[in-house]
Amino acid sequence: MTSYILKRIGSALITLLIVAATTFFLMNAVPGSPFITEKSTPEMIARAEAKYGLDKPLVVQFVNYIKGYFVGDMGVSLKMQQDTSVAEIIFNQNKLALSSRIGAYALLLAVVLGIPFGCIAAYNRGNWIDGLLRVVTTIGVAIPGFVVATTLLVLFGVQLQWLPVRSGSMETASAFILPVFALSFYPSCYIAKLTRASMLDAINQDYIRTARAKGLKTGKVIFKHALRNSLIPVITYLGPLTAYIITGGFVVETTFSIPGLGKYFISSILNRDYPIIMGTTVVLAALIIIMNLLVDIAYKLVDPRISLSKGDV
Amino acid sequence: MKKTIAILLSLLMVLSVLSACAKTEAPAAEATEAPAAATATAAPTEEVVEPMTSGEGGGFPVTPIYFYTNMYCLHDGVENVWYTPFGYYFFTGATGKADITACIASEPETIDPGLISSVDGSTYTQHQFENLMKYATTGAQYQDDPSVLNTEIVNGMAESYTSTTNADGTVTYTFTLRDANWSDGQPVTANDFVYSWRRLVDPATASDYGYILDGIVVNATEVNGGEMTPDQLGVVAVDDKTFQVNLVAECPYFLELCAFASLMPLREDVVSASATWTDPSTIVVNGPYKISEWVHDSYIKLVKNPAYYDAANVTGPETITYYLSDSETAILSAYQAGEYDFIENFPADMIESLKASGDCYINDYVGTYFLYLSTKNIPDWRIRAAITLVIDRENIVTNVTQGGQVPATNLVAAGIKDSEGNNFAAKSSETLPVMWQWLQANLGDALGLDLNSYDDRCELAEYLVQQAADDGYDIAATIYYYFNTSATHQAIAEAVQSDVESVLGLKLELSNQDWNVYTSGLAEDTFGLARLGWIADYNDAVTYLEMFVNGNPYNYGEWVNDEYTALIEQAKTLPGGMDRDALLYEAEPILFAGTMK
Repeated sequence: MTSYILKRIGSALITLLIVAATTFFLMNAVPGSPFITEKSTPEMIARAEAKYGLDKPLVVQFVNYIKGYFVGDMGVSLKMQQDTSVAEIIFNQNKLALSSRIGAYALLLAVVLGIPFGCIAAYNRGNWIDGLLRVVTTIGVAIPGFVVATTLLVLFGVQLQWLPVRSGSMETASAFILPVFALSFYPSCYIAKLTRASMLDAINQDYIRTARAKGLKTGKVIFKHALRNSLIPVITYLGPLTAYIITGGFVVETTFSIPGLGKYFISSILNRDYPIIMGTTVVLAALIIIMNLLVDIAYKLVDPRISLSKGDV
Repeated sequence: MKKTIAILLSLLMVLSVLSACAKTEAPAAEATEAPAAATATAAPTEEVVEPMTSGEGGGFPVTPIYFYTNMYCLHDGVENVWYTPFGYYFFTGATGKADITACIASEPETIDPGLISSVDGSTYTQHQFENLMKYATTGAQYQDDPSVLNTEIVNGMAESYTSTTNADGTVTYTFTLRDANWSDGQPVTANDFVYSWRRLVDPATASDYGYILDGIVVNATEVNGGEMTPDQLGVVAVDDKTFQVNLVAECPYFLELCAFASLMPLREDVVSASATWTDPSTIVVNGPYKISEWVHDSYIKLVKNPAYYDAANVTGPETITYYLSDSETAILSAYQAGEYDFIENFPADMIESLKASGDCYINDYVGTYFLYLSTKNIPDWRIRAAITLVIDRENIVTNVTQGGQVPATNLVAAGIKDSEGNNFAAKSSETLPVMWQWLQANLGDALGLDLNSYDDRCELAEYLVQQAADDGYDIAATIYYYFNTSATHQAIAEAVQSDVESVLGLKLELSNQDWNVYTSGLAEDTFGLARLGWIADYNDAVTYLEMFVNGNPYNYGEWVNDEYTALIEQAKTLPGGMDRDALLYEAEPILFAGTMK
């Protein structure tokens, strides 16, 4: 296990370097400059590019970036928060922490809601409870995130005024309710559908029939024996779900005016704020890589038959 | 019998056809392409001579679409908000609430006066810093909303000033500074202005407004171009309380520039200490408010600055909190929930219901939304003029943008004034919009068309396209219309496309582009039509008109006209007054003139 984790960390670093290089050269291949405005002239743009070293050859710029990363210098924002250090924006302005908190709560809520509802639907297969849950979950995976977020905002924030419409700096617990629910709605529904399907598959297996034949209670059969096996697809989904939470976070953060990292991930590209594009991409790529590693380890814990070492079946 | 009747009928038909031909021949040389209205109004015996245009030269490098307006929502109870038509709302004198909340934009790129280029960034700066001159209320209501008052330029840090015209034509302004302190207790000195002005034009600062003093302050162009060092700029601290500026020539809007956010005084020791000196922990200001909290992407909180020289007379709220958001839905929701007192951005489809609620008002805003017409890619002015003629501006502002915009008559935005205080656009378009004046005089009158009428404009447009086609212009060629990604730009482009294609049959292909890609296309002049919005920085028609002088970097359509260029360049050397106004009034119609054979 230890050697596996070490190997994975090694390959993760190489992956990160590839991600950084790809991002760097792709973003520079796209036309434009962070300094183009309706009133900027070519001279003004050239002057600003010289100020921030964007006039140097690309390879030199890339090497400078990577050198900087090794000493914790991620450069300064060119546009979104001009001259502010990217590390300061991501780590010290609480952006990563805030986005991670919302993401983690949403992830947790998706699992906590999705798995039981999936089990309940499978347990009640064919009757009205299953029908109702199927309708709700199908709607949930079909409606775009911004519609859910806006509907919740208008209903609970503006009409009923139960919850704050502007989450601001998220000082209160109530500020998290709407964003977290909006962000977790789609994955909850997706996990419920996934759990139901795999649970139905597991219920028809011989070992479940054996458990039933031995006279175990239905609840115990479902939640102890069937659930554990039907969790594998759900765990597999947690990796891509992290990526969804990160990108979906942009919509939720924009809708609820949350000062998180999601906005920077998307807006930096539109603004050609190169150091922020690099910073957010590398940090978020690292997060996804870590999540995938954790998912792989979770496999092992859920199903001891799965081996993490190569060739060891 | 049947045969006889058939022969008689045939004869009758032939005769009737011949008599019809004879009638059309009567007005002699009248062209078959001549618009119907011309035929209808011509006396039966009068000979109508078809005016013949030439495709050579000509104007129409630009077609103005509408004048911007500023829309906002302000809750009842907040009074005495000050406004300038450059888009700044000041809460410095606002009454009715001790803590005002507003949302005017998302996180500003910067609030460093030397680097800002946005209206929101300038607004935060204007509350915190005070320039030689400043905006103060006249006490009069600005437009329709009794809560929003007009402003004027009054003395700020300058207690008094004098101006002297020197023998070489240069003009020296000498400002005597009042006794005032920075928020850390140190006195405001002339050196703070010298430092700030030099820093702004220094190419190393790479400020978006580094050009603002070009051609106005002695050596500013050279310093900004890197040919001289910043210490050669024509500004001097004679002593701690005397700041002197040498101007190349009298500039009618110089005092307005002295209230401009980019030229605010700055403390060298504070600014040079850190690139992020505008953080609340390090910022030092000399204005009525001071930033106390800045939670990035969340809010900026301003509190009264007790060190401000006139602190006792600042009647505004104790705190002003600017929330930072770019979601129009979220902004409107927060306003409706009572969390914001003032907002400027909201979904376009909510405008009508907000107006009906009585919360939403529209103010003038000095800006023009226009389309460039490339003289390289649409070389015949008649095609450019035809496109200009068929765009239904009334339809665009009523049904597309719906934000209270005003159909444009000029390039120079409504709200820009001449030296006598007349609205430039209103005066120059008094009888007929400037855009149609040459066309009316040279073509409309001859063809019996009244270009105040949209239908007649369409008729003239068809006439011009036909003449261009007769001269060999390929009217089947695709014209590319570029715009940067935005629902509004897209909707306007579709309206223009519909007008141009349905009336003229020209093929217009829309190209929606990311801002950066879009501006590259502008600079490379690969477009046929391309949009731009130009908000004035100071109240002078030159800010619009000089865009189209030969070789100007904003002259993206590469229009060349020596007469126009000479008039603008000459106007720029004159002090404000009727002579200068006359040159500007004479120049603008040249943008919309054609050529005759």
